[in-house]
Amino acid sequence: MLPLSLLKTAQGHPMFLPAVMGYWLWLTAGELKNGETYNGHLVNCDTWMNIHLREVICTSKDGDRFWRMPECYIRGNTIKYLRVPDEVIDKVQEETKSRADRKPPGVGRGRGRGRDDGVGGRPAKGIGRGMDDGGSKGGGGGRGKAGPVGKVAGGRGGGRGRG
Amino acid sequence: MSGRKETVLDLAKFVDKGVQVKLSGGRQVTGTLKGYDQLLNLVLDEAVEFIRDSDDPLKTTDQTRRLGLIVCRGTAVMLVSPTDGTDEIANPFVQPDGA
Repeated sequence: MLPLSLLKTAQGHPMFLPAVMGYWLWLTAGELKNGETYNGHLVNCDTWMNIHLREVICTSKDGDRFWRMPECYIRGNTIKYLRVPDEVIDKVQEETKSRADRKPPGVGRGRGRGRDDGVGGRPAKGIGRGMDDGGSKGGGGGRGKAGPVGKVAGGRGGGRGRG
Repeated sequence: MSGRKETVLDLAKFVDKGVQVKLSGGRQVTGTLKGYDQLLNLVLDEAVEFIRDSDDPLKTTDQTRRLGLIVCRGTAVMLVSPTDGTDEIANPFVQPDGA
């Protein structure tokens, strides 16, 4: 289970659980430096763990002062830990599972694109040149041009031009 | 998986409003948000820093110092919240959770 998947779940991923949205979330921002605790509804979070909370109660490190704020943004790299309701754990497993289901097509697409680049990129140039030369200038011209093209674009392009 | 390039920090609604900013290292500043960028660099006008207790740098005192127009570097910004509606309150937790 990935930490950010859990957070996303706690935030209420629209696909999976609007019901979990608005869970209270405990988090401590930079406890080594200031140890403050922020307690509020998780509105949003991103891949840096930056967090947007609403109806926040901030507690000082020693726990004797409290502040209420309507909302706050907390930078992810200052967060020491977050407390998430237990129920979210069950929900996040659904999400990771369905993520895993979706993975095979994703991998397939990646591989396909890679091959496209290889086949479509360079050789296409060679073939295109070769055919143009042959069509417009006929045998002699075509052969003359096909030489340099072949050197630049590789053996395959050159072969076409000559043919 | 990390397809989300957008940040959760939509500061547009705070522009020209009072914000409270906590910086890493412990400084605390309020001011009017004049501008920002995606790195969370902030421009604050009429900024006021809360002086901290020299004995306990984690505590802010009532003393302030006026800074004027400042730029807060994004990497140092820990927390941004609106000053409107931010108040010190009594302990809201009937039974404070120790953990």
